Amino acid sequence: MYRLRFHGRGGQGARVASKVLGTAAFLDGYYAQDFPLYGAERRGAPVAASTRIAEDPIMERGVIPEPDIVIVMDETLLQDPLTMPLSGLKPGGIVIINTTNSPAEAKAEYKINANVLTLGITKIGLDMLGMPILSTLAGGVAARIVGLSEDSLTEAVKKVLSSIITDKKLLDKNVAAALYCFNAITPIETKIELKTIDTNKKKSTVISLPFEPAAVSSPAINATGNTPLRMTGNWRVFRPAWNYEACTRCMICVARCPDGCILINEDGYPYTDYDNCKGCLICVEECPTNTLGKVMEVHAKKVIGN
Amino acid sequence: MLTGNAAAAWGVRLAEVDYIPVYPITPQTEIIETLAGWISNGVMDSRFVTMDSEHSMLTAAGSASATGARAFTATSSQGLLYGFEMLYAVAGWRVPLVMVNVSRGLSSPITLEPDHNDVLAARDTGFLQIHCETCQEVLDSILMAYRLAEDERVLLPIFVNLDGFYLSFTREPVAVPDVEQVRNFLPLYQPKHAFFKASQPMAQSAAVLGGSSYSYFKYQMHMASQNALAVYKEVCDEFETGFGRNYDTVEGYMLDDADYVLVMTNSFSTLGKAAVKAARERGIKAGLLRLRLLRPFPVADLKAAIGGKKAVAVIDQNISIGKGGILHSEIASCLYNEKHRPLLLSFIAGLGGKNISPDEFEFIITKMIEGEDTEDAGTAQLIYTDKEWQEMGRLKGMAGKG
Amino acid sequence: MAGNGAIKRDGGKGVKDMVMERIKSIKDIPPEENMLPGTPTCAGCGGLLALRHCMKALGRKIVIVNAAGCFTLLTIYPYTPFKNSWLYTAMACAPAGAQGIRDALDILIKKGRLDPDENLKVVVLTGDGSAYDMSLSSTSGAINRNLDFYYICYDNEAYGNTGVQWSGATPFASKTGTTPPGMLSPIGAELAKKDLFAIWNSHKPPYLATISPAHPVDLINKFKKAEQYKGPKLFIALSPCPPGWGIDPSYTVKLAKLAVDTGVWALKEAVFGNLKHTVVPKRFKPVEEYLKVQGRFAHLFKPVRQEGALNKIQEGVDEYWNRHKLLL
Repeated sequence: MYRLRFHGRGGQGARVASKVLGTAAFLDGYYAQDFPLYGAERRGAPVAASTRIAEDPIMERGVIPEPDIVIVMDETLLQDPLTMPLSGLKPGGIVIINTTNSPAEAKAEYKINANVLTLGITKIGLDMLGMPILSTLAGGVAARIVGLSEDSLTEAVKKVLSSIITDKKLLDKNVAAALYCFNAITPIETKIELKTIDTNKKKSTVISLPFEPAAVSSPAINATGNTPLRMTGNWRVFRPAWNYEACTRCMICVARCPDGCILINEDGYPYTDYDNCKGCLICVEECPTNTLGKVMEVHAKKVIGN
Repeated sequence: MLTGNAAAAWGVRLAEVDYIPVYPITPQTEIIETLAGWISNGVMDSRFVTMDSEHSMLTAAGSASATGARAFTATSSQGLLYGFEMLYAVAGWRVPLVMVNVSRGLSSPITLEPDHNDVLAARDTGFLQIHCETCQEVLDSILMAYRLAEDERVLLPIFVNLDGFYLSFTREPVAVPDVEQVRNFLPLYQPKHAFFKASQPMAQSAAVLGGSSYSYFKYQMHMASQNALAVYKEVCDEFETGFGRNYDTVEGYMLDDADYVLVMTNSFSTLGKAAVKAARERGIKAGLLRLRLLRPFPVADLKAAIGGKKAVAVIDQNISIGKGGILHSEIASCLYNEKHRPLLLSFIAGLGGKNISPDEFEFIITKMIEGEDTEDAGTAQLIYTDKEWQEMGRLKGMAGKG
Repeated sequence: MAGNGAIKRDGGKGVKDMVMERIKSIKDIPPEENMLPGTPTCAGCGGLLALRHCMKALGRKIVIVNAAGCFTLLTIYPYTPFKNSWLYTAMACAPAGAQGIRDALDILIKKGRLDPDENLKVVVLTGDGSAYDMSLSSTSGAINRNLDFYYICYDNEAYGNTGVQWSGATPFASKTGTTPPGMLSPIGAELAKKDLFAIWNSHKPPYLATISPAHPVDLINKFKKAEQYKGPKLFIALSPCPPGWGIDPSYTVKLAKLAVDTGVWALKEAVFGNLKHTVVPKRFKPVEEYLKVQGRFAHLFKPVRQEGALNKIQEGVDEYWNRHKLLL
């Protein structure tokens, strides 16, 4: 069995990618199962979806804890301590990363000890679809890695998308983009076989839950103001970037941020709380002086690094 | 002489309840009217508010309890079902709300007289449940209910159940305890776990994502409910010391040497006791077990009371459509692993307040004796008489269904 | 309290006491954040922006009573963005929850079991699905009982938390999951948005206002004005919803402004039933400017322009402002 886990952000298309892959596998005659994990998080928040492909009926359900293949649709997730997209990846497994870096660079940068493939599908998406929605592209990449056919991929993209979008041109563009990605990536030889692999799970011990009084065991929160621990800064695809030369300290950006992520420094200048800023970019849209611009997230890190 | 409803109101008055949100429904309304009168006349220092529905009423009662006040409310039947969502919610808040349910059959067809499908529908909510046989017991149970619910080892809301009409509107002698004595038994509610105050903000009833957190919170409620079995015994002993009346989790009547046992709840148990007495006069070693505490279910006490008996007939004044008597199922599951388990028969009787006559009890007792001989418990049976069948025929004719 | 010391209560009679300070510009918005970041709401959530300003006006001595909706997810165990208290109730009954808390605080203070300094303002927080539909009964009851509470409805014009379906707040011709434009129903939602303001105002509550996340000065001044009244103080915030309305998250504020500038969302208040508009555009922009930028109205323009529907929407807006003799 192939167990694949897609990691993306709400709105990027991880859920649809897993559906495209599942459908393509089904069309190629395999047993398939796809499953999105809905959390409370919304657009921009890390999301995961799972696809299982097998020659025999699949006797598993739910999130894949130990995937053979992980598709990281958003590079920034690799540094997200809460998402940990590579968790559980099996020895000899494959990681596919949406990045413009080479596999060697990505391996070094993120200290990955597994087979790595890279393809900059965000750029392909922007070029071919005009938007950074990556569902069919990631589906195309994954279909190639597990050895599905081009015909089934084409059919699967049509099937899955026709229930979501009505724009025929956009659908055709998605087919083209999926096939482009399918052919742009070279599968690598791995030890994974298309049959169920027994996983070496650590054994869990079932315990007797101890009683705790209601002061402890009611679903009440006695802490206050602790959501910043969630670090929603990892949702960003683009970040607001500051050029203070033009800033008049008008405070419009401060008043417009839904999350209260623009703070004021000692000199009265606003700045972004990047740990929590979700990257909605309302501040960029509303800034009357071009103090604020937007920069793609991974790129921004490098600029800061320099 | 007090009705069951008036006895309930007296319990609330003696418990010096702070807050009473209400919504009228027959046959419960007399409780809230009585309380409204006392509050209006200043003999009770409580805040009283009529809400827009039982759903709102339960929410207000629960949220007042979550703020740290001692709250009370009451309903019946359809009203209980209308507020049903909030039963689970309020129990999950872990607040010690005491609520009276005056049992009444559920629509459709709509009716007024009692059976226990209303309160038993709430058996999985997290509310504890005490079911009463007499008006005295109603008053006393409300005092015990606050003690039990407010105990830190428990902290769950609780129902005190009484039958509509047969208790709610029935007057019988009730001893009203002295308020000082009640204060000794039931001290002021001072919550350490759920309150709202400016100096200690608290986000109550937060959402939970993920099955392991959810399982934790739910199972803690179950364990708190299980704790209530032992706490109940303490409360029961203390109540007996203070007021001289004993209310165990289950009550046996001519049970010790009995071979054939009726299991019943609520006010019709009185009829069952009379039938047992009559059977004894005929030389049959009959007895009766009345279940008083239904949540938590007193498994050990039940086993001790009926284990080793020859035959037990569970008379369910309720019906789980498609399965049968609810208490029969619950009792059967308690006895399954016992070595000396009695033959267990199931009868549905008293639905919608239908009387259970001495003849009908006699039929049930006879069935137990026959069953013991043949070792066959038979299938569940509705207790319904030929006369009632004939009368039903007459009504159908009048309804044009002849 | 939002930094305004000398506000006197009117003892329930609603006599205005003009001690409150109005703010004049965005620079005057109180800097304290009473709701911290890191919540799971969508990037660019219009409702959250409105709430953030409400929280600044309300201060920290409050308890929020929340109904099922997107904002249920503000407190997910073990996290809360608030420095104040909170109770999640259920979808139909947040105002009833507020009743229980208010009454309990009052009786505990009266009986000397709670220090008056520990008192809290009670604030109901619901989405439009609850406010317009499911909790009308409990809200009407609370207003009728003159419950001393605040009510904030973040109105994103659909059941947003379940993935955007039609609610009583959904405007005519909007596309939602349950009003999909199709061959037989090319318009989408065929019913008009309920006038919740009018429904509430028929109770003549002490204070009732519409607010917008794009008009924080107006918003905060309304809360300040409301503060003097004992009884229900009700607010409806039109809250652009990026996924529900089909807009880029960065466009939330622009769209909230457009709603006001086109006359779709009238900023107004009513004191004991007496209505006054607080922001009236000097020149109304055509409603089409507001509609055409939203995915939920895209079917009114492509593949076929739905002239009839577009006219009907504009006419509805014109009729409103004509009725109030404010259309210039």
